[in-house]
Amino acid sequence: MEAREPLAPDAPALELRGIQKAYPGVVAVGGVDLDLRAGEIHALVGENGAGKSTLANVAFGAIKPDAGTVRAAGTVGLVHQHFQLVGRLSVWQNVMLGREPRRGWRIDARAGRERVRALARDNGLEIDPDAFVDELPIGVQQRVELLRELEREPAVLLLDEPTAALAPAEIDSFFKTITQLAARGTAIMIVTHKLHEVLAYSSRVSVMRHGKIVARFETASTSVDEIARAMVGGELPQVAQRSETAPAPRFSVRNLRAGTGSVALNGLNFEVRAGEIVGIAGVEGNGQTTLADAIAGVIPFEGEMQRPPHTGIIPQDRHREGLVLNWSIVDNTVLGRQRLPSARRGILVDRRSARADAEAIAQRFDVRAASLDVAAGTLSGGNQQKIVVGRSLLGDPEFVLAYQPTRGIDVGAAALVQSRLIEARNAGAAILLISFELDEILALADRVLVMYRGAIAGEFSGANIDRGRIGNLMAGSSV
Amino acid sequence: MSSAGGALIVTLLTLTLIKSTPIIYAALGGVISERSGVVNIGLEGMMIGGAFTAVLFSGMTGSPVIGIIAGIAAGALLGFILGFAATVFKVDQIVAGTGINLVAAGGAAYALTLIYNQPGASPQVSALGNNFWILVAIAFACAALLHGVLYFTPWGLRVRACGENPRAVHDAGLHPLRLRLYAVILSGALAGLGGAFLSIGEVNIYSDGMTAGRGFIALAAVIFGRWTPWGATGAAIFFGFFEALQYVLQGHISWLPADAMQALPYVAALFAIAGLVGKVRAPAADGIPY
Repeated sequence: MEAREPLAPDAPALELRGIQKAYPGVVAVGGVDLDLRAGEIHALVGENGAGKSTLANVAFGAIKPDAGTVRAAGTVGLVHQHFQLVGRLSVWQNVMLGREPRRGWRIDARAGRERVRALARDNGLEIDPDAFVDELPIGVQQRVELLRELEREPAVLLLDEPTAALAPAEIDSFFKTITQLAARGTAIMIVTHKLHEVLAYSSRVSVMRHGKIVARFETASTSVDEIARAMVGGELPQVAQRSETAPAPRFSVRNLRAGTGSVALNGLNFEVRAGEIVGIAGVEGNGQTTLADAIAGVIPFEGEMQRPPHTGIIPQDRHREGLVLNWSIVDNTVLGRQRLPSARRGILVDRRSARADAEAIAQRFDVRAASLDVAAGTLSGGNQQKIVVGRSLLGDPEFVLAYQPTRGIDVGAAALVQSRLIEARNAGAAILLISFELDEILALADRVLVMYRGAIAGEFSGANIDRGRIGNLMAGSSV
Repeated sequence: MSSAGGALIVTLLTLTLIKSTPIIYAALGGVISERSGVVNIGLEGMMIGGAFTAVLFSGMTGSPVIGIIAGIAAGALLGFILGFAATVFKVDQIVAGTGINLVAAGGAAYALTLIYNQPGASPQVSALGNNFWILVAIAFACAALLHGVLYFTPWGLRVRACGENPRAVHDAGLHPLRLRLYAVILSGALAGLGGAFLSIGEVNIYSDGMTAGRGFIALAAVIFGRWTPWGATGAAIFFGFFEALQYVLQGHISWLPADAMQALPYVAALFAIAGLVGKVRAPAADGIPY
C-alpha cells in the first residue's frame, strides 16, 4: 500500500476564503477565512449555534457554501460527533466500505482485514478488525470512525466534538493518536467545547461567534478564561450558588440489584435528601446506565426503591431517549407528562398549557429557536438538551435524575443547565447526578458516591471530597 | 409403510416444492429490498403484475418463455415505481407499496375485461407445462446467487450497509438512493417471476385473486427467515408445505370445511410471526426514507 506523500511542516493544507452559508432565518457562517497548516492541531471553539459544525461541513464538502472558496492540499476527512457507522457490519467492513479490496467478483476479506490491522497498528490504535461495531464500547467505535477517515489518507482531518462521549482514559489515548498524526504532517482541526483539552493539545485556537471568527490565539500564549470570554462575547455566566437546605430523605434504594454481566448492580444502598445533589462519579460502563434505567423504570430490579411520584428524568442520550427529533418543541414538552392532570383537558392533551410550558422552558433556559413549532431535531445539541432539562424540571419535581446533563454541550449552555439544577436543589429538590466528568461532579455535588463495577466503592461529603482519592476509586484501586 | 402412505408423502413433498416456488421468489425479492432499507409491501401487487403480464405476452406470442420474461419486466417496472417513489420522492414506503397493490389488482381486473372481454379470468394460453420444474430449480439457484451477492460482493456489502445506515454509505462516497432503487427493481423482478410462475407455470390462465396474499406470506417469510436469502427460502418452503398440506387433506378429510383448511398457510404464517415478536431485528434503517 503506497503511503501519501506527507506535506512539508507548516505548508498550507486547507484554505477557507470568505465562506458564507445562510439557512432560512439564520446566517450560520457569515464570511470566514481560515487556514490550516500541515502538522498543526487547530481548535475551533464557540457556543452552540456559532456555526462551527457548518463550517466544518463546508470544509469537508458536505455543505455547499453560498459564497467563498475551499482549497485543500489533498483529501479532507471528517469524524462526526454522532458516529456514522454500520452497527451490524464488522470493523474492517465499516472502514473499507466503498473501497473494498476485490479478488474477482468477491470482496477480498483477508486483504481488507490486513489493511485495517496495518492501519490501526501504524496509528497506535488497538482494534479487532472482525468485531461487530454495535458490540464495541463508544470509545472503540470512535477508533473505527477515525480509521475509516485515515484509510483515505487525508491531508486534512476534521474532528467534530471528538471527545464528547469518551471516558478520561480514552480521551488521553485519543489525543496521543491525534498528536502522532499531526507529527506526520496531517493538518487537524478539532471542533470542541472542552477548553482544557484545547489548551492541552492544540497549537492554535480560532473562536467563532454568530457565524464569524471573533478571535484567534496561539495556544501557548492564551488561557481558558480568555478563550471562554471570546466565546460568549463578554463575562462568563456564573453558576448559581448553593444554599443551606433541610435534609429530609426523598429518594432511597436498599439492596438494589438490577442488570446482568459487567454492568449489573450488586446491592446498592444510598439515599438522596431534599435540597441535596448526590453525584455518582465513575468511569462509563460501571453500571451507571443500569442504575439510571432501574430508577427510570425501564428495566426490572430487585430490592427496595423509594421514589417520589413527581420525578423528573434527564436521560443520558437526548436523541434516543430524551426527544422525538421530528416532533415540535411543544410536543416534546408534553412527552412523558401526558398523563399529568395539568397536561390534560379531559381525554385530550391540553395544547394551550403545553405551549405555555414550552414557552416557560424557552425563556428560563434561553432556548434559541425560530419558533416553538420547529422540529426538535433542527436545533443545536445545546438547545435540545435545554429542552430535555427544562421539561424534567417543570412543576418543581421532588426528585430529579440527571444523567450526563451537560454531555456534548458548550460552556455557556452547560453553565445554564448546572445553574438551573442548583436552583432546583436550593428550592428543595433531591437530585441524583450521574456524570462521567469528574469536574462536573465536584462542581455540583454535596455528596459524592464513587461507582465501580456495579457497587459503591466510596462516599465523600463536604470537606472530605478529595479529587485524588475519588480518581483512585474510579480506577478501581482501594484508598 | 404402506404404498398408499408412501405415495401420499411423495405427493405432499412434490406439491410443497411447487407451492413454495412463487413464495420463494417473492420472499427473495423482499430480502433484497429490505436489506437495502425499503420495505416492499407491494410484493403482492408485483406478483399480480407478473402473473397477468406473463399470460398477456404468452397469449400474444404463443411463447411462454417470452411470457415469463415479460412477467419479470412487469415486476421490475412496478419495483422501479416503488423505488422511485421511496427514494426520489421520499414517499412513505408503506403507502407507496399499498398503492402498488391496489393499482396492480385493479389494473389486472380491468385489463381482463378490456383485452379479453371476460371479467374474472383470462382465456387459456400456452404455458410452461412440465418445464415449470426448471423454474423451481432456478428459485433455489436465485437463493444461492442472492446469498453470494449479499455476503461476498462489494455491492452486497453496500446494500446491507444501506439498510442499516444510509448516511454512512453516503459518507463513504457512494449513492444510497441509487443502491436502494436498484435493489427494489431487482425485488420487483423476482416478485414478478414468482407471479409469472403462478399463472403460466402452475396453470395456464390468469384469474383475479390468484396470488391470494402470497406477497404478504412472502413478507412473513422474510421476517421468519431473518432477512437472509436462505432463511427466507426455508420459511417460504415452510409456508408452502402448509399450502400443500391443505390440498392433500382436502382429499382425505371430509368433516372439516375446505375453507378452514385453505386458511392453513395463513394461520401458520400468523403463528410463526407472532412467535418471533421481539426475537428478531430488522435492518436498522428498514422503511426509513433517506
